[in-house]
Amino acid sequence: MPGTTRRLREERFEGIGVCNGVAIGAAFLVDDPRGRVLRVFLPPEEIEAEVARLHQAVQAAQQQLQDARKRLQDALGDEYAWILEAHLLLLQDSSFIRQIEQFIRERRANAEWAVKDVTRKLLDVYATISDEYLRERSSDITDVTNRLIRILAGTKPRDLSALAQEAIIVADDLLPSVTAELDTGKVLGFVCNTGGPTSHTAIIARSLGIPAAVGLRNITSRVRSGETIIIDGSTGTVIVRPTPETLRFYSEQREREQQQLLRDLEERELPSITADGTKIALRANIELLDDTEPLHRYNAEGIGLYRSEFLYSQVQSGLPTEEEQFEVYKILAETSGAAGAVIRTFDLGGDKLRLEGFEEEPNPALGLRAIRLSLTIEEVFRTQLRAILRAAAFGNLKIVLPLISNLDELRSAKRIIAEVERELREQKIRHGEDIEIGVMVEVPAAVVMVETLAREADFFSLGTNDLIQYLLAVDRVNENVSRLYEPLHPAVLRAIKYAADAAHKTQIPLSVCGEMASNPAQVVVLLGLGIRDFSMTPAAIPQVRRIIRAVDLNQAREIAAHAISLTTPAEVNRYVQTQIARRWAHFLTPAPTFV
Amino acid sequence: MQQRTVTITNRLGLHARAAARLVKLAAAFNSRISLSRCDGREASADARSILAVLMLAATQNTQLQITTEGEDEVMAMEALCSLIADRFGEN
Repeated sequence: MPGTTRRLREERFEGIGVCNGVAIGAAFLVDDPRGRVLRVFLPPEEIEAEVARLHQAVQAAQQQLQDARKRLQDALGDEYAWILEAHLLLLQDSSFIRQIEQFIRERRANAEWAVKDVTRKLLDVYATISDEYLRERSSDITDVTNRLIRILAGTKPRDLSALAQEAIIVADDLLPSVTAELDTGKVLGFVCNTGGPTSHTAIIARSLGIPAAVGLRNITSRVRSGETIIIDGSTGTVIVRPTPETLRFYSEQREREQQQLLRDLEERELPSITADGTKIALRANIELLDDTEPLHRYNAEGIGLYRSEFLYSQVQSGLPTEEEQFEVYKILAETSGAAGAVIRTFDLGGDKLRLEGFEEEPNPALGLRAIRLSLTIEEVFRTQLRAILRAAAFGNLKIVLPLISNLDELRSAKRIIAEVERELREQKIRHGEDIEIGVMVEVPAAVVMVETLAREADFFSLGTNDLIQYLLAVDRVNENVSRLYEPLHPAVLRAIKYAADAAHKTQIPLSVCGEMASNPAQVVVLLGLGIRDFSMTPAAIPQVRRIIRAVDLNQAREIAAHAISLTTPAEVNRYVQTQIARRWAHFLTPAPTFV
Repeated sequence: MQQRTVTITNRLGLHARAAARLVKLAAAFNSRISLSRCDGREASADARSILAVLMLAATQNTQLQITTEGEDEVMAMEALCSLIADRFGEN
């Protein structure tokens, strides 16, 4: 590939590490819909080579178009082939190619940049002429130039299923629909321009247990497909085109991590009990179906949270059908054992996925999402419930409702579930009976109302990610305020304690299933607040189990009691870190944090 | 030198496919061939450059002046005019 041969210097970028570990591999750029391209100033002696690279790419593009034209001509006839003929003529148009060449020479720009810029100028000219004609013609021009840029950059149109070899995925943002296409067995890591610690890229990376860094701003324009890239997922550092020294340093680190992984496997059968003998449940959060393997690898006690909306993104045609869902839920029922699986009904809308036909909302986090959306488009909800109830005949499935903010929502949902169950009974379709229905405690109102909700809920799942976001009014993905996202904020600890106490008093089980459950230091505090049930990304289970086995509940209570009495997040952080480091540091090495 | 004024009559005007046909045809002759808008907007276009032809933004009913110059200028003019009159083979 012309784009991969030229040697540029090592560059380092600092992002946010969202899943621990070191990954080293070839970059694979996912086609960026916004069309950002690599921009570098070339040393004068490289200009001619760059012009030559442009001409090579033009030739390759012509070859592609000729092949495509031939296929089209055979399949659809002469008329359609003329469209590609126009594209070919553009590549043969010397005035066009000359403009690009000139840009490379005058600006000392790389070819991708030149193509992009010349195209933009052409389109600007078009924008000033008749609107009606603009569309078709400009799309022909962009079609050709995108092809050219793809060839130059060595990227492919988003055909990720065809990853030929192991690679590190580089993208603007990792859309769930993109991940669905990935051959995850070949993905070594993720690097994204945007996103924060709890973005979907982060969740996906953790569920796959592969290193990832996000929030790198413009990484997609700083690396080409095929170039070597290193991710240090614990620090968020990303290095492109590493020198041999850098490469050696990180290879050694990766080696140490792999040994740790082997140790984790050896310890997988150890029981999850505290030093003083209290049994703690460690469950797995799952979002993709190929996730159920780690369930066994890390010896999780069933699935504490299945994020069903990921199904939505895995189906090409929009919403998954009842049968498609049934097949997936059935696998969950069958693989999760006696402990079972908790299926969270679609948490769509908001910052996640939008359903077609619904307007973009000015304030999606506070808008029509999750249970609100399910109760609005009841048909979609009923289809999902039918699939869950049917699959419940094959194992222990439970339903948890996301974003409950009042008792009415719980009642409406339960009424619909009862109706769906009656319907299945009448139709004599095999299904599970008396399935447990739980409530996600993630809206502050639900925390305050836990005792009331307890009268009609079978269990609670406390989702720390959303609870922190709503309690602290912080958009966790917004770089301007993300530092205010503090899991150990005293307000968060007090809210969790309030919920844990109320659940205990009403004897309704409560499980914590946000990112806090995968952070060993935070787990100690949660133990001290009375939490005995955790659901987390499977890869975090070994280190959480290790700390749980080392901790005496009295120590944990002591730490939590003091932490909750402190006044600022910084004080709590400092205190907790000091305590953990003093008492259990040796259990946390070498990778102490899952952000 | 031949010069003639023609009107673009096909519905879509000189869009990519039509332009492609025109450019291919123009390339078959040795004469220098240029097109310009009768309303004076845009410089005259070399009929061998698809980019220049597209930039004419000739929509339906646009009047263009065709100039051919060279040994086969008459034949070139005839061929181009009949392609345009034939609405580039579109219905």
